Amino acid sequence: MKCEILYPGAFPMVRVYLDANETVKAESGAMVAASPSIDIESKMEGGFLGALSRKMLSGEKFFFQTLRAGRGAGEVLLAPTVPGEIVLLELDGVNEYMVQKDGFLAGAEGVKIESKMQSLTRGLLGGEGFFILKIGGTGQLILNSFGAIHKIELKPNEEYIVDNSHLVAWTSTTTYNIEKASSGWIASLTSGEGLVCRFRGPGVVYIQSRNPGSFGNWIRQFIPVSE
Amino acid sequence: MNPTPNALCFGDGLPGAGAPCHVTVSADGLIMVPVGTSLLVEEAIAFTAMSVEAGGLDHDQLVVSWGADASVRTLYLKDPALIIAFRRAAPSSLMAHLERAAEQVRRARHSHRALWGSVVGVVVGLGLMLWFGSDLIVEWAVARIPVQWEQKLGETVYQDFLSKETVLKEGPAVSAVQEMAQRMTAKIPNNPYTFQVSVVQSPVVNAFALPGGYVVVFTGLMKKAESGEEVAGVLSHELNHVLQRHGLERMVKMLGLAAVVGIVLGDQQGVLGLAKQLGMELATLKFGREQETEADVTGIRLLHDARIAPDGMIRFFERLSEKDKERVELFSTHPMSAARAQRLKAELAALPKQAPEPFTFEWKGVQDSLGTSEPKK
Repeated sequence: MKCEILYPGAFPMVRVYLDANETVKAESGAMVAASPSIDIESKMEGGFLGALSRKMLSGEKFFFQTLRAGRGAGEVLLAPTVPGEIVLLELDGVNEYMVQKDGFLAGAEGVKIESKMQSLTRGLLGGEGFFILKIGGTGQLILNSFGAIHKIELKPNEEYIVDNSHLVAWTSTTTYNIEKASSGWIASLTSGEGLVCRFRGPGVVYIQSRNPGSFGNWIRQFIPVSE
Repeated sequence: MNPTPNALCFGDGLPGAGAPCHVTVSADGLIMVPVGTSLLVEEAIAFTAMSVEAGGLDHDQLVVSWGADASVRTLYLKDPALIIAFRRAAPSSLMAHLERAAEQVRRARHSHRALWGSVVGVVVGLGLMLWFGSDLIVEWAVARIPVQWEQKLGETVYQDFLSKETVLKEGPAVSAVQEMAQRMTAKIPNNPYTFQVSVVQSPVVNAFALPGGYVVVFTGLMKKAESGEEVAGVLSHELNHVLQRHGLERMVKMLGLAAVVGIVLGDQQGVLGLAKQLGMELATLKFGREQETEADVTGIRLLHDARIAPDGMIRFFERLSEKDKERVELFSTHPMSAARAQRLKAELAALPKQAPEPFTFEWKGVQDSLGTSEPKK
């Protein structure tokens, strides 16, 4: 499987080349176009219960699409729903990424996806919900963001503070705590930041340059209210 | 061929996500072989040169650091087999540190589980409490209502009710009922209530009690009864509804959680307002089967304590049940059952025998003072 990002920027697509009988799993609905040799299968990743728990718990799609080059090599074009960048990551079996539920676009066959329960405070306050995706295994992983994607590299014990709604993914070697943005509660709320995540290295944190929740609030004012 | 990586190495000049490497445990340390990267060279790290702690998002990774200042390297080991091998081979000087690391992992997991456990426990507990223990909650809330407040509530409804009815102010019927009430209330230990009993002109065969000790007896009941003891039986039953605070319990159930919260927070004015909205519903409160049984049983004991022949109560109930075809409102919601009469008889048999003291009035005269019975429909 080889991947190439087309039209990098706000409206990118990924071209995935598949050898004969290779598969790629993608978020359902992500396929834009494909060679005629590609078969589309719907698959419940992790079996029925795994899929159900992912659907119920993390709000991810119940089915993933599996695109198989069953009748010869071919290519698939994939795109996310929201405008924003795409990033390709290589999983080597050791590194693992925690991904917030809208961040996953596609992954190679060897990529393993499971729902992971967060700790109570992280789940309640982190803004990603109680469940996130834990993605490991081997092969290429394709993530998407809302807006541009930005990589933060942290050395051991280096710290960085991220507004929780801008999180896309982070490696499992990092740790984080939820904190108020300012020292007082009122300042935290009025500053518009509320709660933030204090990450501690080593590892990598991917953040997105736009906040989906704030964008939703902003756009709501332009939607006509029907009687 | 490259070995498969089983650890990540971090440090200056290495990728932010960590450099993959293959780590094995040797007799005196770790051997790290970089996988697919030229930034790192193969290195043997002696146990004596390293420090160990728990790390990672879930504190489930073994973090090994060595070197000083800019050349510090940190390894993150996640493979459980590798961690076990490391713990077996590591010298005791490092073990203390390791155990502390393991303890940190355990503690993190425990607190994680304990938190979730307690959240689930509280949710399940609340569910069970509401499912099975709503009566207990009601009782607990009712026990916190002061008697004065109960009286205030009862009196409001009582005066409201009496103002619309013809109340007998005096006469043999009134003094007969007063005598019954006095004999019984005198025998109630630690009675917090001042009972007020009124006789109301009505063909309805009924009597009712309001919270706070306000009792109404209808003349229909007195005409139907064959003796004073029968009326006393009904009266005793009603007095015990008050003493057991059955009316309040029903009210709290009807008003719901708002009332419970109000009572707990001491907002009794608010609850009083709510209760007044119910108005006369209070007088027609339907008691539950358990409450009826409780009032029956405590009622017959009270009759016994007051030396009023308790079989009057049973006889009256039995008679009414036989004539069930006539609409008898007193039991319209709780039809007289043989089992109920049986229970009363059994209760009576368990009480010590004693000679009853007759009332001072003559029942025939009391009934005559009420005028002739209305023709039956």
